[in-house]
Amino acid sequence: MEDYKYLFKVVLIGEAGVGKTCLVRRFTQGLFPPGQGATIGVDFMIKTVEINGEKIKIWDTAGQERFRSITQSYYHSANALILVYDVCSQLSFDSLPHWIHEIEKYANTKVLSYLVGNKIDQINRREIPEHIGKQFAKRYEMNFMETSAKEAENVDTLFLDIAMELTKLARQQELDTDKSPTFSAGTTTVVSNCSSCFRF
Amino acid sequence: MTGTDFPPTGIDFLPTEIDFPPTRIDFLSTGIDFPPTGIDFPPTGIDFPPTISVGGKSIPIVSQGCYFNNTINDDLDSLMENQSLLESKMSGLHKILPSLQILETDSKQLHGMVSFTSTLAENVSSKVRQLDLAKSRVTSAITRVEDVLDLKFCTDGVQTALQNEDYEKAASHVHRFRSLDENVLRMTTETDEGSTLDTSFRLLHEAEEKLRMIVSSKFDAAVHSGDLASIERFFKIFPLIGLHEEGLTKFGKFLSSQLSESSYKTLVLADNINYNDKQANVIYAETSTQLFEAIAKVVEIRQPLVETYYGHGRLFTLMKILQTECDRQSRKIIEKFRHKRDFDRVVQQVQQDSVFHRPNATEKFDPKVLDVLLSEMVLLNTRTELYLRFFRRRAVADIEASKLEEDKKKESVSIVDKFISNCDLSRLMQEIIGSYIMLEEHFMREMVLKAVAMDSTESSSQTSSMVDDTFYVVKKCTRRALSSSSVDGVCAMLNLACTVLEQDFREVLMSRVRKGFPYGFDLSQAYTMVQTSIQQGKIQSSDTEKEKTVFLVSLNNAEASCEYCKALKSSLEDEVRKLFLKCTEQSKAKLQTCLGDLGNVASRFKEVVDFGFSQLSSGAIKPRLKPLVDIFLSTSHNISEEDFTNYEANDPWVQNFIVQIDTMLANFKSTLSSGNYDTFVNHTTSEVTSQMEKAVMKTSFNRLGGLQFDKELRALVGYLSSVTTWTIRDKFARLTQMATILNLEKVNEILDYWGPNSGPLTWRLTPSEVRNVLSLRKSETEGIQNQDKTETKANKQKPPPHEKKRTPDMRVRPGTQEE
Ligand SMILES: Nc1nc2c(ncn2[C@@H]2O[C@H](COP(=O)(O)OP(=O)(O)OP(=O)(O)O)[C@@H](O)[C@H]2O)c(=O)[nH]1
Ligand SMILES: [Mg+2]
Repeated sequence: MEDYKYLFKVVLIGEAGVGKTCLVRRFTQGLFPPGQGATIGVDFMIKTVEINGEKIKIWDTAGQERFRSITQSYYHSANALILVYDVCSQLSFDSLPHWIHEIEKYANTKVLSYLVGNKIDQINRREIPEHIGKQFAKRYEMNFMETSAKEAENVDTLFLDIAMELTKLARQQELDTDKSPTFSAGTTTVVSNCSSCFRF
Repeated sequence: MTGTDFPPTGIDFLPTEIDFPPTRIDFLSTGIDFPPTGIDFPPTGIDFPPTISVGGKSIPIVSQGCYFNNTINDDLDSLMENQSLLESKMSGLHKILPSLQILETDSKQLHGMVSFTSTLAENVSSKVRQLDLAKSRVTSAITRVEDVLDLKFCTDGVQTALQNEDYEKAASHVHRFRSLDENVLRMTTETDEGSTLDTSFRLLHEAEEKLRMIVSSKFDAAVHSGDLASIERFFKIFPLIGLHEEGLTKFGKFLSSQLSESSYKTLVLADNINYNDKQANVIYAETSTQLFEAIAKVVEIRQPLVETYYGHGRLFTLMKILQTECDRQSRKIIEKFRHKRDFDRVVQQVQQDSVFHRPNATEKFDPKVLDVLLSEMVLLNTRTELYLRFFRRRAVADIEASKLEEDKKKESVSIVDKFISNCDLSRLMQEIIGSYIMLEEHFMREMVLKAVAMDSTESSSQTSSMVDDTFYVVKKCTRRALSSSSVDGVCAMLNLACTVLEQDFREVLMSRVRKGFPYGFDLSQAYTMVQTSIQQGKIQSSDTEKEKTVFLVSLNNAEASCEYCKALKSSLEDEVRKLFLKCTEQSKAKLQTCLGDLGNVASRFKEVVDFGFSQLSSGAIKPRLKPLVDIFLSTSHNISEEDFTNYEANDPWVQNFIVQIDTMLANFKSTLSSGNYDTFVNHTTSEVTSQMEKAVMKTSFNRLGGLQFDKELRALVGYLSSVTTWTIRDKFARLTQMATILNLEKVNEILDYWGPNSGPLTWRLTPSEVRNVLSLRKSETEGIQNQDKTETKANKQKPPPHEKKRTPDMRVRPGTQEE
C-alpha cells in the first residue's frame, strides 16, 4: 500500500486561444508549438509526475463555442480543473464568471480548481494586472497562478502543484474511508488478520 | 654510360656502390682524429707560456718542461706512422675523380630527357581535353540545331494547326516549344540569323497566348452549351499549355454546377416527401448522403482523366473545388433539416430545461420525437464522416503517387488534413454533434428519471423495473452515439452516461439503502410478510414491511446494476473495437479511457451493495443472532456425565440455533438475488463466528463441557457448509481451535500443539487468546499457571484416539493465513 499509484484527471478549460494547448504541450513535451491550431473537440495526454510516481491524465478541451457540450461532459469526473485566461485579453477575463458558472453546474463539488493567467511574457500587451486575477481567484476560492507557455514560466510548477495537492487529498480521503464504518464494522472483536479475506 | 636506352638499364642510376658522398673514403673519417685527440694542444697540463715563479722554484719547471718535450716527440712519431696511410687514401681519391665527372654529365643528360618527356605528355593530354570539349560542343550544337529546326517546325505547325482548329496539335507544338530553353537559344545565334529566331519566338508566344484564349473560351462555350465531349476535349489541352490550375478550376466549377443542380433536385424531393415514406424520418441524412455519393462518383469517374493529363498530385486541387460546392449544398440541406425538424426550438427548450431544472415542465417533448431526431442526427454525422474519410483517402493516395519528395508529400498531406478539419462541412457537423450530445443527454436523463419514477416490482423478479429500464436507455443512447462515428461524440456520451448512472440513478439506490433495514417486532413473521407481499406483486402491509422490501430490492438493484455496468462496458468495448478499427491511436486511447470510467461506475454500485450489507448486518443479522447466542450463554458447559448424556437426548441450544438460522436464510433466499444471497450467507456466517467467539470467552467449561461444545460446533459447521457454495471451515478456524483447546484431556496437552510441536497447524489464535481460552477450563486453571516442562512431560497422557483424529480439523491450509 506504500507506493500506491494514483491516476488523476486534470481538465483544462477556458476561452478559445488563451493557450490551453500550449500549456499542455509545454508540460508534457517541453516545447512551444509554433502555429498551434485551435483544438477540435478534446485532446488527451498522460504524464507521469516524478514526485510520487502518480500519473496525471490531462484533458485539453476546445474553447470554441460549438464544442461546449463535448467539453462539459468532462467536468463531472475531473479531479482538478484549470480555468485559463489570457492576461493580454480583457475579453477572456470577462468571460470567467460564465466558466465558473459551468464549473459549479457540472463539476464535482470536491474538484480542485485553479485559475491561470497565461501569456505573461507579453509584458507590453498585458491588460489584466496580477492582483486583479489574484483577487478574482480568491473570491471564488480558487488557487491562482500566472504562467507563460512560451517562456516556460510556472508551467511545471502549476502541474506539479496540482499533482501534489491531489495526492494529498487522495491520501486524506483514503484515511477517511478506512476509518468510516463500512460493512466490516460488525467485527468488534479481536480483528483477526483473516477479516480482510471476507471482503471479497 | 652514354648508352642510348633510357632510362639506362645497364647502370644503376645513382649507383649504390659508390656512396655519394662516398663513404669508403673516410673523409674527415672518424679513424683519424683531426685535430688528433691524443694530444692536448695547447696542452692543458701547463700554463703556456710557462710562468716561472719567484724564489728557487725554477728546477721543477725545467724538469716538467723536459717531460713535456718527451710526450710531444711520442705524439709526433705516431702521427708520422699515419702518414703513409693517408697518402694511399689520397691517391685513391685521385683515381675516383674522373668517374665522378662522368656521373655528373650523365645526370644532366637524364634530367633533360625526363623534362622533355613530361612536356610531351602534357601536350598530348591537353589535346585530348580540347577534343572532348569540341565533341560536347558539337553535340549541343546538334541539339540546338534540332531545337531551332523544331522551333521553326513548331512555328509553322502552330499556325497551320490553329488555322485548321486542330487545337490538340497546336497545343502539342506549344508544349514542345515550352520545353525549349529560350534564352540559351537566343544567346548562341548570330545576329543576322537572330532576327528569324526572334520572329519564331514572337510568333510562338503569340500563338501560345492565342491558344490559351481560344481553349479557355471554347471550354466556357462548351460548358455553356453543355457539350460534354468538348468540355473533356479542352480540359485535356489545358495542361499542355501550362494551365494546370486554370484547367482544374474551370473543370471543377463545371462539375460543381452539375452537383448543385442535382442536389437541388433531391432537396426538392426531400421537401415533398410523404410522411408515410419509411425514409421520411431520416430524409435529410439521406439527402446529404446522395450529395456525398454524387461527389464520390464524380471523383471516381474523373480521377483517371486528371491523372493521365495532369499527372499525380493535382487531384486535391479539383477536390477542393468540389468540396466548396459540397459545403454550400450541405449547408442548404442542414438549414432545411433545422427548419423542418423545428430543431432550433427543440434545442432551445432543452437548454432551458437544463438551466432551470424543471422536472415537471408541462411543455415536455414527446421523447419519441426526440428519439427520431437524434437518430437522424447521428446518421447525418456518420455519413459525413464516411464521405470525409473517402475524400482524404483519395487525396492522400494521389499525393503519395506523385513524384514529390517525401517531406513535400508529408506537407501536402497535412494541408489536406487541415483543409478537411476546417471545411465548412466539418464545422457544420461539429455543431450538429454538439447539439446531439446535449439532446441525447437530455433524452437519456429524462428517460432514466422516468424509469426511476415509474419503478415497480414484479413478483417474478428480485430487482425492480428501474434497473432494466435504466440500463436499456443508457445502452440505447451510448450505442446510438457509437453509430455517429464521432470519436468526441462517443467519448462525451460515455462520460455523460457515467454521470447519469452515478448522479441520477445510483443516488436513488443509495438513498434507499441509506435508510437501513428496519427491525422491530417479531422478525421471522416480518420476513414471511415481505415474502408474501412481494409474491402478491403489491405491497399492502405496514410501512416497516414496505421499507424492508424497498431496502432488499434496492440491494438487489445495486448488485444487478454493478453487473449490468460491467456487461455494458464489455459490450461497448467490443463494438468500439469493431467500429473504430481504423482511427488513430490517440482516438483509440481516448475511447478506451472513457470506457474505463464505466468500470469505475460499476465499482460505485458495488459500494452501494457493501454499504447495504453493513446496514443489513446491523439491522437484521445482528439482532436476529443475538438472542440465539444468548441461549448458548445460558446453557451450562460445566457439566456432569449425566448432563452430557441428557444433552445428547435433548439438545440444549444448537439445533434450535440451526433451525432459526435456516429460517432466516430461507426467508432471504427468495428475496435476495443469488449474488446477494451468497453475500448474505457470508455475512451471517461471519456474524455467527464473531458472536460465538465472544460468547465462548464468557463461558466456563469443564472437560465434558468442552467435549459438548466441540460437538455443537461440528453440528453448526456441518449445517452452514451445507447451505453455502464455498468452504466455510476457514471462517470457523478460530472457533474450531478454541474447541480443541477446551476439549483437551488435560490443559498441558496444549504444548503438544503449540510452538515447535505445532507442525502443520497454523494457529489463528494469539498466545494470549490461547491462554484466555485455557483459563476457561474450570478445574485445571491453577494447574496451568504453575506449569513447567518436566511436569508436562511426566503427566503427559495419550489423548483418546477419537481426539487424535480430530486434529486435522484445526489445520488450516498453509498460506491461507495472511501475515
Ligand atoms: N506570447 C504567448 N503566446 C502564447 C502563449 N501561449 C499560447 N500562445 C499563443 O496563443 C495562441 C493560441 O494558443 P492555443 O494553445 O492554441 O490556445 P487554446 O486555448 O488551446 O485554444 P483552443 O484550442 O481554440 O481553445 C497560439 O498562437 C499560441 O502561439 C504564451 O504563453 N505566450
Ligand atoms: Mg487548444
